[in-house]
Amino acid sequence: MKIDNSLPLEYSTEENRLKILGFWIFLGAEIALFATLFATYFTLVNRTGNGPIGADIFEVTPVLIETILLLTSSFTIGLGINAMRHGSKNAMMVFFIITLALGAGFLGTEIFEFKHYVHIGAGLQVSAFTSILLTLLGTHGAHVTLGLFWGLFIVLQVKKRGLTPETTNKAFIYSLYWHFLDVVWIFIFSFVYLKGMM
Amino acid sequence: MNMKQLFPRGHVMGFIFSMVLTAVALGVVVYDLSFKTGMIVLLVTAFMQAGVQLVMFMHAGESEDKKAIYTNVYYALFIALVTIFGTLLTMIWGYQ
Repeated sequence: MKIDNSLPLEYSTEENRLKILGFWIFLGAEIALFATLFATYFTLVNRTGNGPIGADIFEVTPVLIETILLLTSSFTIGLGINAMRHGSKNAMMVFFIITLALGAGFLGTEIFEFKHYVHIGAGLQVSAFTSILLTLLGTHGAHVTLGLFWGLFIVLQVKKRGLTPETTNKAFIYSLYWHFLDVVWIFIFSFVYLKGMM
Repeated sequence: MNMKQLFPRGHVMGFIFSMVLTAVALGVVVYDLSFKTGMIVLLVTAFMQAGVQLVMFMHAGESEDKKAIYTNVYYALFIALVTIFGTLLTMIWGYQ
């Protein structure tokens, strides 16, 4: 295997470089997936039947907590990758663990929010609006849940094997996924919550 | 690693910028804006946030695949916009 030392470790072989490109193409498909969910949301947002409208159920505080947790986790994983590129395994591990903790905080807040929606009569079956709202939020939440386990396994593998062309490549690809989830959340925050409360 | 290496300027600036953009977006519910003005503010802040993530944190332009990655992102964005606005056109606006 040819290793090019002029590049960061995660790009150091052709296979590594192609895996990163491949993951970007996967993210393109994810953009299309979330676009269909947003399209359905915008179509059904006013089909509330006898159920509540967005402004009745959205609350600024939990949404803002979720946004800040996710934005900060996106920052800390960026710092983790930066530490990885400096070859500092310990600093990278600390930043990755902080990222996972913030992600878990986000998920906890979102679960609390979902429970609250069901409690106040905005469950999945109430109206077309609540169905697509919870489907859109839930699809993002499911991605975050997957990301938490993925991140955990990355941390365990780096702990066991150290910083190699393979583990750094996996960690970098994982960071792309995590930043992508943050981008999707920004659009949910803006065009679901803030638009709904406007 | 020293503090300057641990917290590179670009990342810290990107983070502060994304927090500022969040605060600006939040302004649409704090201040009494018209729907149109509010939507313009949200569109601008959301796409700027996405740009910060893409360029500052995801290092979209650093490898020799830069061109392929950007082409892919723009194509995905095109598909997303056609899906969303095409749906709105056929399901909502077409009937008004």
